[in-house]
This record gives sequence, structure tokens and C-alpha cells, in this order.
Amino acid sequence: MAAKDFVSLVISAILTAGLYAIMSYGLALIYGVMKIINLAHAGVIMLSAYMTFWLVTAYHLNPFLAPLIVMPTFFLVGLAMQQIFIRPIAGAPPISSLLLLFGVWLIMQNVAYLIFSGDTRSIFTEYTLLTIKVADIPLSLNRLIVFAVGIVVLVALQLFLSRTYPGRAIRALAADSEAASLVGINTGRISMLAFGLGISLASLAGSLMSLIYTFDPDFGRSHLLKSFCIVVLGGLESIIGVALGSLVLALVEAFSVVWLRAALQDFVSFALLVLVLLVMPNGLIGLIRRQTR
Amino acid sequence: MKRFYPPRTLLAWLVAIGSLGMLVMLPILFEGSYWQTLAFITFLFVSLSVSWNITGGYAGQVSFGHSTFLGLGAFATAIITLRTGLPAPFTIPIAGFLAMVYGFLWGYPTLRLRGPYFSIATIGVGEATRLLMTNLDDSLRNIPILKELVKYKPLTGGASGLTLRIPPDIQSYALKFYYGALLFMLGVLAISWWIRRSRFGLALFAINMDPDAAETLGVSTSRYNVLALMVSAFLVGVVGSLYAQYFFFIDPREMFSFQNSIAMVLMPIIGGIGTLWGPVLGAVVFKVVEDRLLTTHLEWGPISINFVQFNLLLYGLLLVLIILFEPGGVLGLLRRMKGSRLLRRAFAPARQKG
Repeated sequence: MAAKDFVSLVISAILTAGLYAIMSYGLALIYGVMKIINLAHAGVIMLSAYMTFWLVTAYHLNPFLAPLIVMPTFFLVGLAMQQIFIRPIAGAPPISSLLLLFGVWLIMQNVAYLIFSGDTRSIFTEYTLLTIKVADIPLSLNRLIVFAVGIVVLVALQLFLSRTYPGRAIRALAADSEAASLVGINTGRISMLAFGLGISLASLAGSLMSLIYTFDPDFGRSHLLKSFCIVVLGGLESIIGVALGSLVLALVEAFSVVWLRAALQDFVSFALLVLVLLVMPNGLIGLIRRQTR
Repeated sequence: MKRFYPPRTLLAWLVAIGSLGMLVMLPILFEGSYWQTLAFITFLFVSLSVSWNITGGYAGQVSFGHSTFLGLGAFATAIITLRTGLPAPFTIPIAGFLAMVYGFLWGYPTLRLRGPYFSIATIGVGEATRLLMTNLDDSLRNIPILKELVKYKPLTGGASGLTLRIPPDIQSYALKFYYGALLFMLGVLAISWWIRRSRFGLALFAINMDPDAAETLGVSTSRYNVLALMVSAFLVGVVGSLYAQYFFFIDPREMFSFQNSIAMVLMPIIGGIGTLWGPVLGAVVFKVVEDRLLTTHLEWGPISINFVQFNLLLYGLLLVLIILFEPGGVLGLLRRMKGSRLLRRAFAPARQKG
């Protein structure tokens, strides 16, 4: 492999990792605070892709401004979901929330089939084919901007989680929900907030992904698995862990193309998911800690 | 523990014998293969539902990866028949066995994970298997030694699937499979019933309620879980084999699809997870409703609505409602309704949940 190919592969992996980080952080936030695996994550990614499609084609909105509408909408959807589905089954065995959210995902998917049909859609804008050359390596402008938007949101989120009261309450709840309620945190309201945030992060990921990939109502399933893989890889404690996990997955995927057929690219992430779950349930950070201790 | 558990009332006996008699007579009463095929596929789905229930319901390990067994069973039969000329019915035990081995292979490591983690891992296993099987032929062509395997005949056929040879006398062939599937379904039910009554089943229920407590009492959770998955895998593999033999055409994208795994999760939960008759009820409702929706479409002026997609939508809604309001499924609902005394006697009681 020539050095140039190598560099462009790494850069492309980093750009992908930015997207992965957003979608997995949504999953991690909800899991961390409520210990719920949100299978409806995939449905939210898919629906937000359609919403972006609709905004861009019907209202000619600039595709990179679409998240400004998509994210608040799905934040509200998340609050409603938490009220309707999650609150009534608090305290039930974890498998029932998994199945419940799986049902919600099925509903989302099939409503999308009814409304949008099974046709594959893609968003084509004036940015789609633009490239810029940096040191002889062509970079897709579209993907660069998507990456930048993702990073901006992640930084904002990190500031929110570390500097504001609700953000710190979310982190407290994730660390120890009983202790959090003992020191006077309104766990119900903070859970709701965390769920809304998690869903709106998933919608941001879906909105940005719709600008790069084609999608249909089945879109999001492989991304759900990838998010889960990343969350397990990176651990739940920090945004750094999630970023690290995203990078590892994106790199492995990118380099798998060298020795594996492109159609089997997703196979890598699924195999990695099962492997990671089995070998290092505490994630990369846990592994590093164990080594250095 | 009771040694024998017959239906308790006259009504239950009548219902059981009556419905069995109906099923035996059905191909004779309704000439025309439509109802016969619908009944045949319902038998298969009841078998799938009851088999899934052994791991998902009794042991409480919700698997989203059961289509791997279905596909493997179907392809084992198709590949062996096409390559060796062995009559297809003889491949049924091989198909089941291969599915069982595969169940052991992925079940042994993943069943160390608990609850939701296991479920997520099974989604990964299912998707990975589907991708691998769909691309198997093309992948093998690039490997020097294994190239010979796919040189003359396809292994899984990739996107075009595999077609079996159609026998000359299709009607008596289909009839044979009708009764074969009916017998198999009864066999699966008998196995499920036996497991409930056995020490094995007791261990599974214990694991379901509290794995830690079960482990302290000397129940090896991982061993019993793997064993349950293997039994379940064997039965599902046989269903796959029967499917391939009846329909003559299998496509890896369809056989290994996530949709099939979903169906196997939905049917028992809707009927009543962890019970003997719940999965049967769920599968019958699932298949019949699906069939009705598939064949109905509304014409309303220029708009024509197809109901195909309503199927899973309906089941998604049902799943949500069931988890929220009636975890016992349709069976639980029936029990709750008026006249429940008859039903409670007729059906074996669900396990007592604390």
C-alpha cells in the first residue's frame, strides 16, 4: 500500500469516527443514566434521515442547518417516549425495556415503510460531489463539514455535562443513581432530560448520515450494532472513551477493506462486537486500567 | 412433580381432539393447495415459536439470532441434496445436527453474557451470519484452496439462492409434508411439554428467575443455557430443512434474515412467553393475521393501500402494549377475562412468578 493511500484511508476513518462518536454517545448517555439499551436508537436514526430528506427537498433548507430543526424535534420525541414507555416499567427486569424499545423500533420502521415506501433514498445537494485537495489527497467537503458539525456538537455537549447543573446531575445519576437521589437530584426529571438528549443525539447522527449514505426504512440497524460495539469498547465514563472506541472501529473497518470484500465490511463490526463483549466487557479503558494498575 | 399431565376437563379434551381432527382432515375437506400450504407453514411457525420459547421463555435468554439455525438447516438440506443426490428427507437429522453444532459454537461464548447483553450479541451473530452466508460463494472464490468448493456448483447461491429439484407428483409430495410437519409440530410440543415437567426445565426456570441464586444452589447456568439453546437450535434447524424441501427455493438473504428472527421473538411473547400453549397461540395468530393482511388491499379512489407492512407494525404495537400492560401475552389476557375458570383448567398453568 502506498503511503498516500494509507494516509487517505486513515483520514477517511477519522471522518467516519466523528459520526460514529455522535451516534454512540446517544446510546451511552441513555444506558449510563437509566441502564436501558435503547433499541429504538436505530429507528430514530432512520426517521431523522427521512426528516432531513423532507426538509431539504421540500423546503430547500441548507442540509447542514437541518439539525437545528431535527434535533429539538427529536428531543421532544425523546421526552415523550420516556414518559410513555420508560417510566411505567421502571424497576422491571432489563429485558422488558429492551423488548419494549424493540417494539417501538418496529413501529417506527413500519410506519416509515407505509409513508415513504421501501425505496432507497439519498440526498443530493450542491455539496455532495465537491472535494478539496490537501497535500494531494482529495477530501470530500461534504464529509468534512459533517465531521465539523459533529465535533462542534460533541464539544458543546461536553461543556454542558461538565459545566452546568443539569449536565453534572446527569453524570451523577450515571455514576450512582441512589446517591444522586440522596443528595437531592430530581432523578425522574434528569432521566427524562438524559433520554431526550440521547434521542436528539441519535437524530443528529441520522441527519448527518443522510447526507453521506443512502437510506431506507431498514437504515440504522447496522449503526445500532456499531454504536453498541463502540460503547462497549470505549466504556461509558467519558466522551474520550467513546471517541476512542469510534476511532478503533472506524480504523478496523477501513483497513478491513484491504483484505475483505466491501460487501463484508459490516461483518467486521459485528464480529468485533461479539468479540469485545466476550473478551473485554469493561472496554478498552478498563483494559488499560487493568494493565497499568 | 406430576408424572402425567392430561387435559383436565372434558372441554379441553374435546378442543384438543376436535382441532387435531380438523387438521388431519383439512387437506381432504378443502381441496386446493392454498389452505393446505397456509396450514403447513403455520405448523412450521408453531414449531419455531415453541422451539424459541425453550431458550427465550423457559431460560429467559431472549435470542435475536435464531434465523441462523433456520437458514443453516435449510441450506444443509439443499446443499447435501444437490451435491450428493441423497434423498432430501434423509438430510433432516443432519440439518438439525448442524444447527445444533452452530448453536453450541456461538451459544457457548455468548451465553456467558447476561440478559440484554446476550440479546445484543445475538443480533450481532445473526447479522454476521447473514452477511457471511450471502457472500460465501464470492468470498470462497478468492481463497486458493477453498476455491474448488464452489467451482462447479454454488454453495449458498449468493443473491440468486438455491433451487431444489421439483418431484413429478407434486400433490402427494405436498400432502406427505403436510402430515410430516403436523407430526413434527406435535413432537416439538411434546418436547416442550416434557422440558417443563423435567429437572432440566426446572433448572431453566430457576435460571430465568435469578441466575445468581440458581448458581448458588448448584445449577450450572451456562451449561443449562447452552443445552437449552442446542435443543432449540436442533428443532429450528429441522424446520429450516422442511421449509427448503416444501418450497424448493431458498435465498440466503431471506432465510437468514432479521425478519425471521424477529418473528420468532414476537410469536411467543404475543401468545404468552414461558408457557406451553402461549407460543402456539402466538404463532397461529401471527400467521393467520399475516396471511389475511397479505391478501387484502384497500382501493379508495386513486389510492390503493397495501397491508403487507401493517403486519409488523401491528406486532410492534402489540409487543409494546403487552410489555406495558399484560406481560402474560394473549394467554394471560384470556385468563384474566371472564369465564377464566374454564380456560385456567384447560391450559396448564403458567409458572408462578414471584
